[in-house]
Amino acid sequence: MALKKAAKRTEPAGPPQLLWRRDGAECLVTNDFGHYAWLKRKDFDLLLAGRLGEKHPAYAALADKGFIRDRLDFDGLAAKWRSKNAYLNSGPGLHILVLTLRCNHKCLYCQSSAAGVGSKDTDMSAATAKKCVDFAFQSPNPGITIEFQGGEPLLNWEALKAAVLHARAKAKKAGKDLRLALVSNFSLMTEEKAQFLMENEVSICTSLDGPADLHNRNRVFCGGNSHAATVKWLKFFQARHARQVPEYRVFKPSALLTVSRYSLGRHKEIIDEYVKAGLEDIFIRPLAPIGYAKNLWGQIGYDAAAFGKFYLESLDYILKLNRAGVTLREKMASMMLDKIVNSRDPGYLDARCPCGAAIGQVAYNYNGDLYTCDEGRMVGWEGDDAFKIGNVRQDPYRKVMTSGAARACVLSSNLESQPDCARCAYKPYCGVCPVYNYETQGSLWGDMAVNDRCGLFKGTFGALFAMLKKPANEAILKKWVAK
Amino acid sequence: MKKESRSKTEVSVSLKKYSLEAVRYAAHAASSAARVFIRTSGRDAAVVEFEPTGKLPGAKIAAAFKAELEDEALRASVYEANRELRDFMILKALSASEAAQKPRQDDSGLTPEQEKELDALIAQVESEIKQEAAAGASADPLGITKTWEDKYGAKKSRKKN
Repeated sequence: MALKKAAKRTEPAGPPQLLWRRDGAECLVTNDFGHYAWLKRKDFDLLLAGRLGEKHPAYAALADKGFIRDRLDFDGLAAKWRSKNAYLNSGPGLHILVLTLRCNHKCLYCQSSAAGVGSKDTDMSAATAKKCVDFAFQSPNPGITIEFQGGEPLLNWEALKAAVLHARAKAKKAGKDLRLALVSNFSLMTEEKAQFLMENEVSICTSLDGPADLHNRNRVFCGGNSHAATVKWLKFFQARHARQVPEYRVFKPSALLTVSRYSLGRHKEIIDEYVKAGLEDIFIRPLAPIGYAKNLWGQIGYDAAAFGKFYLESLDYILKLNRAGVTLREKMASMMLDKIVNSRDPGYLDARCPCGAAIGQVAYNYNGDLYTCDEGRMVGWEGDDAFKIGNVRQDPYRKVMTSGAARACVLSSNLESQPDCARCAYKPYCGVCPVYNYETQGSLWGDMAVNDRCGLFKGTFGALFAMLKKPANEAILKKWVAK
Repeated sequence: MKKESRSKTEVSVSLKKYSLEAVRYAAHAASSAARVFIRTSGRDAAVVEFEPTGKLPGAKIAAAFKAELEDEALRASVYEANRELRDFMILKALSASEAAQKPRQDDSGLTPEQEKELDALIAQVESEIKQEAAAGASADPLGITKTWEDKYGAKKSRKKN
């Protein structure tokens, strides 16, 4: 919408709503609408004093972005805010079904605190799986994603099959957009199972921690070679994706990277392994001291600075590969860039305000217990049900959504009431995690001044904004989120 | 303004120039590098004491605190100047999205028994309406069910030939 010319004024307009971060001779300014700009210190002072004149070269761009107080496009900016915060009205979209706690791997960092292959008492029954699907469909969200996790979900194939078929039938009736996803280590995958998954349009995600020696060191599989199974089935699903059939869509498989202490310094080998496996996305995820990883933190953990260094080196290397024509994107950076560049919500539940706990996702334990998120479920497995929000057999949807734990997570992850976050220039794009705070700092609120997760996020945002300043990098990064 | 003793550093802040709240928030920002203690000194001053917890010396922490204090004062003025405007913008955004929201489908908040009762009640009301409609279908004393054309004939064209 074209802006009307401002009336001639005699008084300065006053400072606009903005947050800032001083960086040498410049300032990064951001606002509620997700816009940002880099300003020289002198211009920043003029802007805050409401004295940045119309003839200033940055004036028009700043006015477009809502940084000039008496030139605000109310409708346009309100629409921007709505699109950025669209999730506030939609209810939980992600539903994580933990089909079993059993696993045939003993990963060093396993957060899901997996049980041995023999303990079938931690399997979800087919009836409970269907109940979970029914519960998920009560969410007012028009798009429902059901993610099957474990343990290793393929160890409970019957419940997985029942839930997939029930969900597909239910989606048809309810007219909802349903996405199904399986997170598996592939060790139990067969062609028959793969066929069923493809026919029912279940997307596939696995873990790939790098080259064989590193992957197998992190992801211990007593029954064989974890890396070999992962690569074999990645190739299988890629081949099927390449030759689509008319009856159903075959999704491109994806993989997650969990960075342990053993990964540090090996970013190039890890990224090359992803390229070799034909993957176009890599999700570089730090370890969180939750569940099993908490006990082994001294052995496999690291501080925010060490991860930050690894992450930045990885981003630099990915950009170098991009310049050489290789297609590869880093997932966390992509999601943050989507917010920064497009003012769009990429559905990254860990970086929302309030966080996705309960209002964006629900984790369903094998016995039907409901948790705010998968991390909350892991805390429950350690004997602390602080994040339990109900049970799928006993509690109606409304009671679950308004449970004490759900409300506590919403309140504590509202960045407006987090003293450091409310002042941070990265606030329009960021989010805190009450479970992480609870596990590492003993309270849902945490203390961001000394919070490692906050340190990681600040490092990542700092790197992305610095990269966006360079036109060559900016063009590549914008391509990552140009969909 | 600044006083150092052993590893501790003290900074005195005029409360005439800065609010105690601004002092608290600026001090909190420094808490990643030091333990911070705040006390008032008379009516018009606060003393902020930094006890470094890492490698950063007290003098540097104090300098960072003072820079943060200036920013905090700026933030307070930005907040004050924009509070109402910001409320208005967010309310505008939220109310527009409420209007665009689809009507809720599932989750009536009722127990299965209550839902059954409600369904039975709706069925009963619907059947009563049907019965009434069927009984009165032929009787139309005011001719409500007739079209305009049925009652008064087809509309004549006013077009000139």
